[in-house]
Amino acid sequence: MANFVNSLPLPEFPLWEKLEKGRRLASFDLEITARCNNNCRHCYINLPADDADAKSKELTFGQIKDIVEEAVSLGALWCLITGGEPLLREDFFDIYLYIKKKGLLVSVFTNAALITDEHIRFFRKYPPRDIEVTVYGATKKTYERLTRKDGSFDVFTRGLKLLLEGGIKVRFKAMALRSNVHELPQISSFCRERTKDYFRFDPFLHLRFDGNKKRNKEIKFERLTPEEIVAIEQADSERHNALEKNCDKLIIKDAAHINCNHLFHCGTGNDSFTVSYDGFFRLCSSLWHPDCVYDLKRGRLAEAWQDFIPKVWDMRSNRKEFLEKCRKCPIINLCIWCPAQSHLETGKLDEPVEYFCKVAHARAEALAGKNMPRKLKLI
Amino acid sequence: MKSGVSLNNIYKPSEDVVAREVAGEFIVIPIASGVGDLEDEIFSLNESGKSIWDKLSADKSLRDVALELSEEFEAPLEKIEKDCVGLIQELLKRKIVVNQGNN
Repeated sequence: MANFVNSLPLPEFPLWEKLEKGRRLASFDLEITARCNNNCRHCYINLPADDADAKSKELTFGQIKDIVEEAVSLGALWCLITGGEPLLREDFFDIYLYIKKKGLLVSVFTNAALITDEHIRFFRKYPPRDIEVTVYGATKKTYERLTRKDGSFDVFTRGLKLLLEGGIKVRFKAMALRSNVHELPQISSFCRERTKDYFRFDPFLHLRFDGNKKRNKEIKFERLTPEEIVAIEQADSERHNALEKNCDKLIIKDAAHINCNHLFHCGTGNDSFTVSYDGFFRLCSSLWHPDCVYDLKRGRLAEAWQDFIPKVWDMRSNRKEFLEKCRKCPIINLCIWCPAQSHLETGKLDEPVEYFCKVAHARAEALAGKNMPRKLKLI
Repeated sequence: MKSGVSLNNIYKPSEDVVAREVAGEFIVIPIASGVGDLEDEIFSLNESGKSIWDKLSADKSLRDVALELSEEFEAPLEKIEKDCVGLIQELLKRKIVVNQGNN
């Protein structure tokens, strides 16, 4: 009998191969709110849960439907619902279900604090591809030092328990920062004991999307030193091995020949995009430069995807410092630097950032040691 | 019938799935739990499967579907009927289609 139906685990689906061969929309992130029930020290986006102004600017369910509809017609297969804390939206269930019913795989980022039995019943009926929960600390003291919200640890553990006991697929991530770095091994154990899936931590704290100076100062204070970042990466064997395995790709021994002055070399906008809570389309979540955002309340997604992105890709810089430093840097792949991060840090898309530079060099030194390119050692 | 699939019955796509074309593949994505056997699974239909799928509807028996396809593709009815039954067997097993009986 002929075989009409192939059932494939998602990672084996041929879409991924096709994506590598050309530009095709695969996924998008929807930040459905910037509001959050926590007030994390390191957060690049959060606004108070009761911020009426932020709430009034949020895309309506109708506007979200239009964006999703267009994304589906452009071929998207995957949608991440994120925030802020997405469960704060009173119409979260409507948004989620609409996206599911359009035939998209859906992931949700949440802090789990607002999870109720109703969410569990709903997610059991309409399973997400996964729910990623951020773990800020393994103890009440550390967790609440980060979130700056009394009682947040208890509601987090309660919500997480509901998810896990409800059989919902949960992944974990943690941010590594000054206020919780002492507890990172316990956070790692906390997560790994609770999931067979992966756990990841991120020591790279992004500055605020809204440029809030006071908050940016707090974020910078929370950043780990380059040496601390290297130490925690080396302590995580999974992460260290992955970095070591890809060392040859991460360190380009001879980068001196690179002389292209295009700003974007990272593939941003090739297979994904992000939409902010107030309807701004970006090529990636961090790319907030005014020349790189497109207001979906005034235009169409198809135009942003097809016409606007190539214009951003065509942006160039002739700034000497950029061309001679970041553009030719042999360890750029170990660096968080990119035009988007440069803009958040300096207001310019093409400015080297000293902290990133130091972190990248510390990582390279730890990885390559004596095998570091001679030229690099002199930088 | 041995397979449990009858040409006299109407089979229609479950409301718990969405069928889409993505990157040149015709895929069926479960919306609700209980479709498919494995976690993290999506389904793709080959060209024959898609042709049959496109004809499934609430007011057409599987025999009618086969007849239409046989005329459209100028292929022997018996062969098309066999293909239709084969596909529906696979889809029923995975709860991607539902049996509407023979109204």
